[in-house]
Amino acid sequence: MTSFRIEGGTLIDRSDVRRFTFNGEALSGIGGDTVASALLANGKQLVGRSFKYHRPRGILTAGAAEPNALLTIGRDGRRDPNTRATMAELYDGLEARSQNCWPNVSFDIGAANGLLGPLLGAGFYYKTFMWPAAFWEKVYEPLIRKAAGLGRASYDPDPGYYEKCWAHCDLLVIGAGPTGLAAALTAGRAGARVIIADEGAQPGGGFLAEGSPVGGKPADTVLADIIGELHALPNVEIRKRTTVFAAYDDQVFGAVERVQKHLPENEINPHRAMERLWRIVARQVVLATGAEERPIVFGGNDRPGVMMAGAMRTYLNAYGVAPGKRVALFANNSQAYQTAVDLEARGIEVAAIIDPRTCPNINYAGKARLIAGAMVRDTAGRRAIKSITVRHDDGSDEVIAVDALGVSGGYSPIVHLACHRGGKPVWSDAHIGFMPPEKTDGMTPCGAVAGKAGIAACFAAGGVAAVKALAELGVMGEAASLPGVEQTAETVDHIQPVWRVASSKGKAFVDFQNDVAASDITLAMREGYDHVELAKRYTTNGMATDQGKTSNVNAIGILAENKRVSPGEIGTTTFRPFYTPVCFGALVGASKGMDFQPVRKSPLHGWAERHGAKFVETGLWYRSSWFPKDGETFWRDSVDREVNTVRTKVGICDVSTLGKIEVFGTDAAEFLNRVYCNAFLKLPVGKARYGIMLREDGFVYDDGTTSCLGENHYFMTTTTALAAGVLTHLEFCAQVLWPELDVRLASATDQWAQMAVAGPRSREVLSKIIDDDISNEAFPFLAAREVSMFGGRLKGRLFRISFSGELAYEIAVPAGYGESVADAVMIAGEEFGIAPYGTEALGVMRIEKGHVTHAEINGTVTPADLGMGRMVSAKKDDFIGRVMNLREGLVDPSRPSLVGIKPKSPSDKFATGSHILNPGDDVSLANDQGYVTSMCHSPTLGHPVGLALVKNGPKRHGEEVVIWNGLAGTTVTGILCDPAFVDPENEKLHA
Amino acid sequence: MSSLVKCPHCGLRPREEFTIRGEVAAPRPSAGADEATWFDHVYLRDNPRGEHREYWHHAGGCRRWLVLSRNTLTHETSDVVDASTLKTEGAR
Amino acid sequence: MHEYPLENRFAFPSNDAAGAGASINLAPIRDGFVFHVLGDANSNEVDLKQALVKIAPELGTDLRSPSPNQWFWVGGADVSDSRLAEIQAEIPEQFVLADQTHGRLRMVLFGASSRSVLAKGTMVDLSPEMFAIGQSTMTQIGHIGAMITRTADDSFELIVLRSFASTLWDELQHMAAEFRHP
Repeated sequence: MTSFRIEGGTLIDRSDVRRFTFNGEALSGIGGDTVASALLANGKQLVGRSFKYHRPRGILTAGAAEPNALLTIGRDGRRDPNTRATMAELYDGLEARSQNCWPNVSFDIGAANGLLGPLLGAGFYYKTFMWPAAFWEKVYEPLIRKAAGLGRASYDPDPGYYEKCWAHCDLLVIGAGPTGLAAALTAGRAGARVIIADEGAQPGGGFLAEGSPVGGKPADTVLADIIGELHALPNVEIRKRTTVFAAYDDQVFGAVERVQKHLPENEINPHRAMERLWRIVARQVVLATGAEERPIVFGGNDRPGVMMAGAMRTYLNAYGVAPGKRVALFANNSQAYQTAVDLEARGIEVAAIIDPRTCPNINYAGKARLIAGAMVRDTAGRRAIKSITVRHDDGSDEVIAVDALGVSGGYSPIVHLACHRGGKPVWSDAHIGFMPPEKTDGMTPCGAVAGKAGIAACFAAGGVAAVKALAELGVMGEAASLPGVEQTAETVDHIQPVWRVASSKGKAFVDFQNDVAASDITLAMREGYDHVELAKRYTTNGMATDQGKTSNVNAIGILAENKRVSPGEIGTTTFRPFYTPVCFGALVGASKGMDFQPVRKSPLHGWAERHGAKFVETGLWYRSSWFPKDGETFWRDSVDREVNTVRTKVGICDVSTLGKIEVFGTDAAEFLNRVYCNAFLKLPVGKARYGIMLREDGFVYDDGTTSCLGENHYFMTTTTALAAGVLTHLEFCAQVLWPELDVRLASATDQWAQMAVAGPRSREVLSKIIDDDISNEAFPFLAAREVSMFGGRLKGRLFRISFSGELAYEIAVPAGYGESVADAVMIAGEEFGIAPYGTEALGVMRIEKGHVTHAEINGTVTPADLGMGRMVSAKKDDFIGRVMNLREGLVDPSRPSLVGIKPKSPSDKFATGSHILNPGDDVSLANDQGYVTSMCHSPTLGHPVGLALVKNGPKRHGEEVVIWNGLAGTTVTGILCDPAFVDPENEKLHA
Repeated sequence: MSSLVKCPHCGLRPREEFTIRGEVAAPRPSAGADEATWFDHVYLRDNPRGEHREYWHHAGGCRRWLVLSRNTLTHETSDVVDASTLKTEGAR
Repeated sequence: MHEYPLENRFAFPSNDAAGAGASINLAPIRDGFVFHVLGDANSNEVDLKQALVKIAPELGTDLRSPSPNQWFWVGGADVSDSRLAEIQAEIPEQFVLADQTHGRLRMVLFGASSRSVLAKGTMVDLSPEMFAIGQSTMTQIGHIGAMITRTADDSFELIVLRSFASTLWDELQHMAAEFRHP
């Protein structure tokens, strides 16, 4: 197929040919490939342009840390930007595109930035785009955003389904390399509930790159045996393609499983999640995340063809891809020599091994030329590496022609998850790396993350860690015996730190993703930003999607070297979730579109729909707001008609969404007396009473009616808006403030369908379906009791209360019967011209009547402000809000108080929120007298009416004022008046 | 901030099942207490670095009010009790 | 008098039953009662059970406690208004009983995948060794409060407020879809 695919490859299936495109070019790969391995197999070393200088970049790693090979994969709504080619599995038909380049990756205009390199150093943006300030929004920011930025998100909605899920286990093993597998096997055999998660497409981790036998057996056979046994254990769950991205408090771990992102569109099951966000509750954790190989900072170290030595091994052994035809290695440690061994085993020429150590203590017996005490100081080649320049220990330079360079600067334990809860990693001179914090409660780091090297050592470490974790849970376990473990001899690899090659020629990059060079770090220090957190922000080292996985430790090393201290004294930046990027789809889960939040439906929802209701969202509820009839084209046509119908005939309105709370207990009356500011102790059975609840700070919290239905049994209604809040408040009072009272609260909102039947003919309508006598004498205003309906076929609760100001009742029936009863009311009311009315008409009528709602009860008003000061009991010893309601500022008579307001000329309009000014005063808030809280067109009076909170309001009825709409810049002359525009004598209520 | 709370009635539950009211303030004064005492009760709250006692309501579970003792520095939750026990104990 | 038809409307959408081989099934429970029993601070379940056996032996004593001193008493029989009034009158003083038959609806989720479906909504560990048959708990399934009761090996009954029932039903259908259309 191509010249770079060779024999072997434990992860690929050569019979499964997969076509894909890269920047429009048709290519092919093999099942099991990542996009990166397929590109390399096709000889595509140049895959993108760098962020700032637009330098050509190639594939650096074979895993999660990849800083360079970020591609946009997929199309339309299924397009994922910034996808690491090293993690993306190849599927048939995959479309991949480079980012950060225009017009294309080989010829990129932005590369001119490279020539400006000296000007674009650390802090460039801070220093350059400073003035004029007005340029920021219009010039600089759009320019920077266009030039910088990584991939672009799709504007199309993602058609995929995403979800969230909880999981529980005794032991969570993070990472399924040799360490993790040994730990899982140990715990699994002991019967513990185990979840082992790995970000790879297949479990195996370091195994997958292993070319040598393990304990005398081929590595892939050993791996297959372990995985086979784990699969057979019912108490072990293997989660592949699952990245544990965060460690949260209380042993909760966040993980994302890429369930179907690796499948071609025609194989995606629309009923399955594309990605699944897990929250895993783990009693114990074995952290087996391994270690990240570090690059070395030298001149031209970003040229395509420069790759981590370990990544070369992975491509070679797992994917059967040769990194080049003539390869050199630049390594300061002996582990990396295994790459040379494996390359030579496949017949690939290793031109040289450049080792900064003067006496590399290794057993390498291959053919490559070993250049000790030397460094690579430069590379050459336009779009890919052609040669390297080696600086020998005698100061001479030598150019060696290569088409790939493997680099290894040591190993950084992947300690992120051990640090998310605040732990700080600890520097180790022995390992030349930051090790996990010493104290990691509930978590045992082991294997390569704890500094071990080699499969046998990791096997042993995983087993021991699992035994220890199990012991914490009181479970006995025995470390799984695995091939090669018995031969383990602790060998210490002497790594010589090389934070940067001092003789570097040209730019020596520390952070590939953010184009941060060693010189930028030095500059940051010179300018005073030498604290590690400041250096990060000043240079951008360690930012963006890879969060410095390959760069942070080198940057710390350079800071330490310059300051002549240990890297441990410099310390690391703070580790925070997420370990690798998680797409928004997974974080949102299923909560989008209509599923964004639950929908609460009234038991009369279907009835309202049948009558053509327009619905309005009120919290989670859908309430019917008006009921247009044929010929009504404008909402107010319907609302005016509904109001007129109720005022002259009769209407029916769904009020089921009001909060309803049953209050029981021998101290129920005393309890109500303490939570309402007015008296409730002597409310007789069969009576309802309007009540006002205060907050403890003396302001009004909510209002509603409470009825006494029997001895020690009350039925409270709250506003729809505060139904949940009031119940919570009452529970606080009952459980925390007065646990000695016998009071029991039951939410009954959903049990009852409740409807208001209002209007002068309402009694006649209800008399037809209610068996009891509901005459004014038998059932006067504020009567409340259970009634028999439909000749004894149903029981309901009838309340003679009125929000509209008309003769009115509210009837509650068990929710399932709601629609039938509403239908019956409509039939019974037909002869009187009954019509359904919605929340809009309800709102108009309550304003006409001067009744308040949360437009007035806005958290700043007292009962006195609402004209209900006399309701506040002066006799009661104690109730919520009593003392604070009496403080000086709340009893000031000039406080803004409730008045009605109307325009002087009936044809004038005004808006809610308008401010009230005295005539002649300057139009300014300095002269503010109050504001309009509610207004509507009154079909009853034929002109706009409103409610307002105005200084000294009740004493100013009849006064002329200016209504000022500051937003529209208009003023209207208004007249303050009694808030009860309709029936101020309450004759209708008592009719 | 805790991810999981051990409700004394329901067992381990996620934070999102709870709503937090804030610090367990000075107890509700008696009816005859002076204004200053009431002001402290209504408005005075600590914001400590370290041990902190808060009211948590298990709104998504048993609907009981709990008193949760947690360390704002280490995020450790040392104790969770039903809030009704507070008054019986006469504790602050 | 006009003949007004009375019907107890059901809040669940029509039931889209899965095939016999499905690893997950969701079914509404149409019949029966849900009574909310509220006890005083010294009440306990043993006393309540004894009382109920005496007062209403025909209704069983399936009690599920959402909160200390509170129970949902559920059963499959339909209870008339008058029978309910009798029970309310006879129940010992330390208990009160509120009808929630219309306010809280029941459905059952059963099949080998039932735990996997519920894990998408609730944090509660429902594994067999942690959540015994007969055990129940109040929790949130996604954003919706619900009571989960394990009624058999792989069978869970859910009690949910009526106004949330159709949303919860839809959400469970979504969460179960991958097991119904593998």
